[in-house]
Amino acid sequence: MLNYFSAYNRLERKRKKLLSQLTDKLRDSALSQYIHTPFKSFEQEILDLDLLSIDFETTGLNAVSDKLLSMGRVEMHKGRIQLASASHNIINVKQPLNSENVVIHQITDSETNRGCALKKALDELLTAMTGKVLLVHYAHIERSFLEQACWQVYGVKPPFLMIDTLAIIKKRFDMSDAGYDPSRLRLANLLAEYQLPTYSSHNALYDAISTAELLLAELHHHKQGLKTKLKDLV
Amino acid sequence: MEIELQEISGFLQKIPPFDTLPSNKLAVLSKSIEIEYARKGTILRDAKEQLSDQERKLYLIKKGALAYYGKDNELLSKYSEGDLCSVWLMPDKNAFISVLAEEDTLLYRINKVELDDVIQEAPEARAFFGQTAAERLNKRLQKQQEEALLSSGLITSQVTDFYHSPAATIEANQSIQQTAITMTELGYSCLVVIEPQYNKERAPVIAGIVTDKDIRIRCVVENLDIQHPVSEIMTPALITIEQNESAYDALIKMTSHSIHHLPVTQNGQLSGMLTITDLMNHESENAVNIASLIRKSESIEQLKQLSKLIPKLQVRMAKLGASADQVGKSISAITVAITHRLINMAEQKYGPAPVPYAWLAAGSQARLEQLSHSDQDNALIIDNSMLPEHQSWFKQLAHFVCDGLAECGFIYCPGNIMATNQKWRQTKKLWQNYFQQWVESPTPDALLNSSVFFDLATVYGDHGLLNDVRADMLQRTQNNSLFIAHLSRNAQMLKPPLGFFRDFVLVENGNNEKALDLKHNGLALIVDLARIYALQQGVSAVNTQERLKAVAGSSAITKSSARNLIDSYTFLSNLRLKHQADQLSQGKSATNFMHPKALSKLEREHLKDVFKVIKTLQDARQVTY
Repeated sequence: MLNYFSAYNRLERKRKKLLSQLTDKLRDSALSQYIHTPFKSFEQEILDLDLLSIDFETTGLNAVSDKLLSMGRVEMHKGRIQLASASHNIINVKQPLNSENVVIHQITDSETNRGCALKKALDELLTAMTGKVLLVHYAHIERSFLEQACWQVYGVKPPFLMIDTLAIIKKRFDMSDAGYDPSRLRLANLLAEYQLPTYSSHNALYDAISTAELLLAELHHHKQGLKTKLKDLV
Repeated sequence: MEIELQEISGFLQKIPPFDTLPSNKLAVLSKSIEIEYARKGTILRDAKEQLSDQERKLYLIKKGALAYYGKDNELLSKYSEGDLCSVWLMPDKNAFISVLAEEDTLLYRINKVELDDVIQEAPEARAFFGQTAAERLNKRLQKQQEEALLSSGLITSQVTDFYHSPAATIEANQSIQQTAITMTELGYSCLVVIEPQYNKERAPVIAGIVTDKDIRIRCVVENLDIQHPVSEIMTPALITIEQNESAYDALIKMTSHSIHHLPVTQNGQLSGMLTITDLMNHESENAVNIASLIRKSESIEQLKQLSKLIPKLQVRMAKLGASADQVGKSISAITVAITHRLINMAEQKYGPAPVPYAWLAAGSQARLEQLSHSDQDNALIIDNSMLPEHQSWFKQLAHFVCDGLAECGFIYCPGNIMATNQKWRQTKKLWQNYFQQWVESPTPDALLNSSVFFDLATVYGDHGLLNDVRADMLQRTQNNSLFIAHLSRNAQMLKPPLGFFRDFVLVENGNNEKALDLKHNGLALIVDLARIYALQQGVSAVNTQERLKAVAGSSAITKSSARNLIDSYTFLSNLRLKHQADQLSQGKSATNFMHPKALSKLEREHLKDVFKVIKTLQDARQVTY
């Protein structure tokens, strides 16, 4: 009880601190708008919250040395995933891609060259996530790359409120006595386990949609379903 | 910003009626989707409540399964991946439906407001959502008929495949009387009028055409002297066709100008004549040829060879786009011809019949709904003057003909409904007793076994015998509620399936069947209903469609219900025809069983509509009887 309360307070403290330090130059930026908006209460139910499921494709796992290649996102409103909000941005990384990586993320050099600047993609994302709770599968990547992007563009590292489907499901697995193979927690494997559709295009947008679908399926295995409170998920 | 929902559009595109939408509309529709999840065992809100337009929505099942239940928890249907669930889009005010998620289910939801926007300019999709089961079926059949004409052999055939050459001609200065004489001599109703030929070496020049109708209307009615030249009543021939053009073009030319005769030219010079009947009849022409060969054949061996053409004819007609009705009539005609020929052979062998009689066909052959090589169902009706010593002649006849039919591929009736069975080789008086028994003291079993005899037709001999028996029988059946109640109860023993679930046929108790039995799951049910209506109303027709037309608008069935049953019957029998043509052309034997995998999504939708129509009318019997 204290635990989540302090987690919420930590987020809010950090947000307010950042707000006080915000320079005049950033006053009208997408970041400023994000920082101005308080975090949602942890007592709220998922059914009443607006979620933004996001997924990134990157050139590697290190947020400092590797680059953000693309961002996919889709909103969830009243427990329904809104394809109208689906969006996919490819970012111009301004460097040649490693051919081994191209096989994984399937973004080619010519695509990234036609992509947009990091700031534009980041601003769109910040605007979209303002007032919403972020949803990701394996928070570490999205959190660290998002922090790094904000650092690069705005020189600050804002706090983020994220629901992590991997962490939720891992907690459930850990509670059962039977051991499990960690690879079972990979998005593709969980989709198969929950009998959810697997889209053939493995881009950031479809992974964001899949993550949202995974959360819906997982929540329906919780006693409270869509009425599960945010505090039970973060 | 780049939106990439092609995969979602691709999913939509496979589902009728969205397959008719252009890709930009599909993209809009994809964007309007909201994804919902229902856990196994969840009951989605019941659909009976009055919904405002804003609350109305269409669901598409992306993963999982939904089941519909009616009142008393009766399973109505099941839906799975790629199926539409429209119960919240067009709620049926009269039906209570609750929807259960049978598995964990992921649903794509499209709100009515957005759906309407997208399909506004897509008439097919709009019609799909705006029509009842019966209306959709009717639209489909109209389209099938148009397609049949387009795909018929006329496109690939040339005018020369059908025309008469040389054309019958008359010179323009000949008298109207002479024209009539020439027509009568040649047996033609139309002549090409040519310019007077002073030099017979030169090719004739077309002046016009004259038909017997012209003589009637422009001469007799007008009191014109019959010695006037024919040129006064002819139609100047402005429209002709070159002989290397397609028969389809010829048909279009004739229909667009409302003419029935078209002079055919070769390099502009008269080479023949084409009539609309030539084109219309070309598909049954083969049946006519086969029948005439049958009449000329001298041995059972020859008949056997000719009967091997029947499955080929069925395939050919099916491929040319003939309807099941046309094919059934053609094949029944050939069976009649074979039976005739066999009876003639028997009469040659055993001498003439001692007393008048008639050879009867029962069941599908009598209804003219036979496809190649079905069972033989037949019987003999003999004049009441038959003496005991005549029995042996009729027995010999029956064996000779039935054995001959078996040689020709019509297998012996497993239920022994054949003239060789003495029970079905009886005098008119005895047949009248049979029907009296069946109709006035009906028992369910006896009726089940005798229903085939309520579909009888005279194939050969004295038509009066069966006509008398039938008239007597119809008088007994008409408005006989006990008898009709028994028949109605029997008819309800076979139920149409509920629909399809994944690649199975979903039947009444929720079980899955591997194959759809087009006959016992559909056609036979309609045949049974039509028979009941006909007997109830005292209608003498035996062909299912004719029966339904005759009873439409009577106390037995409304006009629109009859129309719906005819559409359902036509759809099922055309589907069976196509299915059997595929089987036969792959060298397999023709069956009534169709695997759901062989059905397109659209065909499944239409079949579900057919099942609905049948169920509604079966249920109506249940209420009445």
